[in-house]
Amino acid sequence: MEAVSQYLVTLLADKFDVDPDAVKPGSTLAELELDSLAVVELFVTVREQWGVELDDSDSAADLTVEDVARLVADQLPDDSGPVEATDPGTPR
Amino acid sequence: MTGHAATRRTEPLAVTGIGLVTPAGLGTRATWDRVCAGVPTAAADPELAGLPVPFSCRVPGFDPRVHVGVRQAWRLDRATQFAITAAREAVADAGLDPLSWDGRRVAVVMGSAAGGVTTYESQHSRLLRTGPRSVSPLTLPAFLPNMAAGQTAIALDARGPALHTSTACASGATALIVAAMLLREGACDIAVAGGTDAMVTPLCVTAFSQMGALSGRAAEPAAASRPFDADRDGFVIAEGAGVLVLERAGQAAARRAPVHALFVGHGSTTDAHDPVAPHPEGRGLREAFLRALATAGAGPADVDHINAHGTSTPLNDAREAGVLRRLFGARPPTVTSTKGVIGHPMGAAGSIEAALTALTVSHQLAPPTANFRRPDSGTGGLDLVTGGVHKHPVRLALSASAGFGGHNTVLAFRPPESSIPVPF
Repeated sequence: MEAVSQYLVTLLADKFDVDPDAVKPGSTLAELELDSLAVVELFVTVREQWGVELDDSDSAADLTVEDVARLVADQLPDDSGPVEATDPGTPR
Repeated sequence: MTGHAATRRTEPLAVTGIGLVTPAGLGTRATWDRVCAGVPTAAADPELAGLPVPFSCRVPGFDPRVHVGVRQAWRLDRATQFAITAAREAVADAGLDPLSWDGRRVAVVMGSAAGGVTTYESQHSRLLRTGPRSVSPLTLPAFLPNMAAGQTAIALDARGPALHTSTACASGATALIVAAMLLREGACDIAVAGGTDAMVTPLCVTAFSQMGALSGRAAEPAAASRPFDADRDGFVIAEGAGVLVLERAGQAAARRAPVHALFVGHGSTTDAHDPVAPHPEGRGLREAFLRALATAGAGPADVDHINAHGTSTPLNDAREAGVLRRLFGARPPTVTSTKGVIGHPMGAAGSIEAALTALTVSHQLAPPTANFRRPDSGTGGLDLVTGGVHKHPVRLALSASAGFGGHNTVLAFRPPESSIPVPF
């Protein structure tokens, strides 16, 4: 859970230009100014990085950072890390 | 009635800004310096390792997070990132500020042969490799060909016409012609125009290789792009963007803008012959030269320099040299193909070379053609600039481009009449 949370903070800062200090466990994705496409891109990136399933439905923007971290962590075996290191850069 | 005789002389336009993102360097100054030094940029390309042609000309040190910002970097294709970066440099060079201009009077015209093909190719690979849920939601807005124009307009708050032109390797030159038409029609007061492409991708390079269009000199990439040389064996693929700011000359003078060059004429024709092979006698290219001269109010004897299309392919260079010999044989101008240094940046070529031609008339310096050693029977008879820059009076210079589909464009530039110094 901690590793996933740290990963999310880094991803939000590096790819989505979110101020790391603004990322609190209770911050929703909408509050972090992610638009609908950015939310989908976030979930695509997380799914690929951690090998998990995430539902990017219309309500996904209302999820908090902690919610997303838990959704990922609940699908992971203990102590597992990312499945691959993906480039969080352009849509490639 | 011949086409060129029916062409009206055009009102001159001022080139008040230039922005370049090329394999020769990030920015106009870096590009100009390396082009004048005649140092080729082709090198082994790790992204093409294992392919039949594993080398290219890449833009050095381009970091999209720095040049378009973290928030935008992942939303834009590489070609659009280049376009915005070059456009911002051109606008700043023109002494203009998007925060204070009337965006309704600013047009953007951006040419591209392939649009966001980097995105298209990579996302298609993802779809096949890991399934539909791994495809970026930004795929479509990143790869649509009009997005270089649309996103540049957003970046500059340009709210006049924003248009995309696509005439393959002439796309950037066509964009400048369309921009000139918009200015002369009064559809805008400022046109930010040029071309961009980022086609150094595994599929594009393989496809060109399968056509036999690329040089195969993998053992010596730096010597591979050799326009007009007897030992040329194809072009070297490149990437980049070139953007000019164009204004009506009177308006540029009124705001005391530094002017690099005057854009005084253009010709645009089609071979109507073959989708990829140039017309054997260069029918359309010759006519494009004549139309450009007619609109510039000039004749062949007035031309002092030509920035040739000069791709380094056996067919193009022989055809183009033949046209130049027949048109300018009595008083040959100096000729350069800057593709010896930069390679062939596809739809960006026409605008990058237009910028280099504007700098040629601005500085009265003709850059050299890299890697040229000796002509063959098809490419002889030209006054090719080799070795280093050639300083001579350049009162009228032409930039020629051609593209698959049979497109031909020729742009005409004169030195500025004002004495306001340009930055370099």
